[in-house]
Amino acid sequence: MLVLILMVFLSPAIAFSKDSCFDCHGMKGMKDYIDPALFEQSVHMFLACNKCHVDVTTIPHGKVEKVNCGICHFLGREGAPKEQASEYKLSVHGRATAAGNSAAPTCQTCHGSHYIYPSADARSATNKRNIPLLCSHCHTQEFDVYKGSIHGKELLDNHNTAAPTCFDCHLEHLTPPTTSNQWQLSLIKQCGTCHSEEMKTYRKTYHGKVTELGYTTVAKCSDCHGSHDIQRLDNAQSTLSSQNILSTCRKCHADASIGFTKYYAHAEESNKAKYPILYYTYRFMTLLLIGVFAFFFTHTFLWAYRSMKERMQKKGGE
Amino acid sequence: MVLIKRFNAYHRVLHIVVATSFIGLVASGMPLKYAGAPWATWLMKLLGGYSTAGLIHRICAVITFGYFAAHISYVLYYIAIVRKFKFNILGPESMVPWIKDLKDIYDSFRWFLGLGPRPQFDAWTYWEKFDYWAVFWGVGMIGVSGLFLWFPEFFGRFLPGWAFNIATVIHSDEALLAAGFIFTIHYFNTHLRPEKFPMDTVIFTGTLSLQELQHERPLEYQRLADTRRIEQATTSAQAPWLTDTGIIFGFLLVLIGFFLLILIIMGQFIY
Repeated sequence: MLVLILMVFLSPAIAFSKDSCFDCHGMKGMKDYIDPALFEQSVHMFLACNKCHVDVTTIPHGKVEKVNCGICHFLGREGAPKEQASEYKLSVHGRATAAGNSAAPTCQTCHGSHYIYPSADARSATNKRNIPLLCSHCHTQEFDVYKGSIHGKELLDNHNTAAPTCFDCHLEHLTPPTTSNQWQLSLIKQCGTCHSEEMKTYRKTYHGKVTELGYTTVAKCSDCHGSHDIQRLDNAQSTLSSQNILSTCRKCHADASIGFTKYYAHAEESNKAKYPILYYTYRFMTLLLIGVFAFFFTHTFLWAYRSMKERMQKKGGE
Repeated sequence: MVLIKRFNAYHRVLHIVVATSFIGLVASGMPLKYAGAPWATWLMKLLGGYSTAGLIHRICAVITFGYFAAHISYVLYYIAIVRKFKFNILGPESMVPWIKDLKDIYDSFRWFLGLGPRPQFDAWTYWEKFDYWAVFWGVGMIGVSGLFLWFPEFFGRFLPGWAFNIATVIHSDEALLAAGFIFTIHYFNTHLRPEKFPMDTVIFTGTLSLQELQHERPLEYQRLADTRRIEQATTSAQAPWLTDTGIIFGFLLVLIGFFLLILIIMGQFIY
């Protein structure tokens, strides 16, 4: 009995050496050929084959089931990072998979199986420059629009890895539904990680304050600038170019006029060169407030002092 | 105790309307002004969320325009019908500031510094006149800029869009001026100064004692006595429940005002 219990507990620890697997799978032309040299460069090079292929208990073996990455990445075994799997379960992809949608991506769809390289490796499917292509396998239309955008062109044509990819906004593992309020609000901060000045000035406007309070019914970055199709303001294709701005404002403000579009959605009252009238209005208001408060606070404090003193004198006199 | 009538029912009701709608405007507007302060989301939720707070703000704005119109009508009615145009706009009964007010300011500072006696006031002191005209200035500035922001699509037909940026600055800073002024200086001048502490109830009860009139507004007392109108001005005390309600209401306004003031100070200087 004891031997049986020990065997059950120790069985996962009994590993085949990779060499014995490569005896067959390392042979070119073999079904399910694995390139041993490339496998040795993958992040899982230190794992024995049956750490993942747990249903392989003998050699030779029969039919092998699809690997469940969660045995390590959900439980955090073998030092495997586990947050990603928990996040994935909450994502639109994970929920679709759980609901039985076989078209929804699983771990292997994006990461591959045997040749999983660190994302810094240019060969990795999740390398920054490969991400849009990876997502495009399913999201073709979004990719076509994205690759023409300023972000897409910077990344794909100019190899500027500071440009955002799908993951930066849609969050690779957590991938919330795009209708999520919380996600829409977090996107503003996400844009602000690069466009920090623009976020600061946005926060000074009505739109920015309402979203800061947690309400999504007013304009957020992408409502004006677009998302997958985002362009520089000087590009005629931009949603904010002189040809397009009116229809962009009219998405919310149905009766907007050309005059209406001259609103400063990123007002800076401290920028004298750019917004002189706003700057002087703000200066005037500040001086008015300081002036009124300075006069009346002085008045009040002196009055309080005199009244107290008179009361004390009266009491002393009695 | 001989009681003198200072405010009639119209004055007292109007003050309650002004004060209530003002508190409503401040409370529903400040979470937006100080959206970054940690209390802002809480206050917004307390008011029923951003759209409900917006509705409260607009209802109070309509009340504000309403009392403003009611007051202008009352002043015209009072001067034309009640006084049959026999009203000296620069006289002691008028709210219009005149030379004596400048002299009173100067004399008050001398008194504060122990350089002279307390000036003798008539019916309306200079700080009361300031409060009165500040409402005109405030309703004008905040009201007009507020209308721009309420109907930007309509005003956008005549004004460039950046007028709404200007309107936002004016609306927001004027609101800070008004709230900061009412919750500190108006409260001190009328209620919290040692002579009145904890509250001057005259605006809620409508009456003040003869001694108080003699002490606080000796010139008005003299005028009433000289023209033998002092008897007309004396009144019997109103029903105690009405007085009590007024006082409780007054205390509530002062307390809410102080609470909002603390939030404003946090919003202005900490976050």
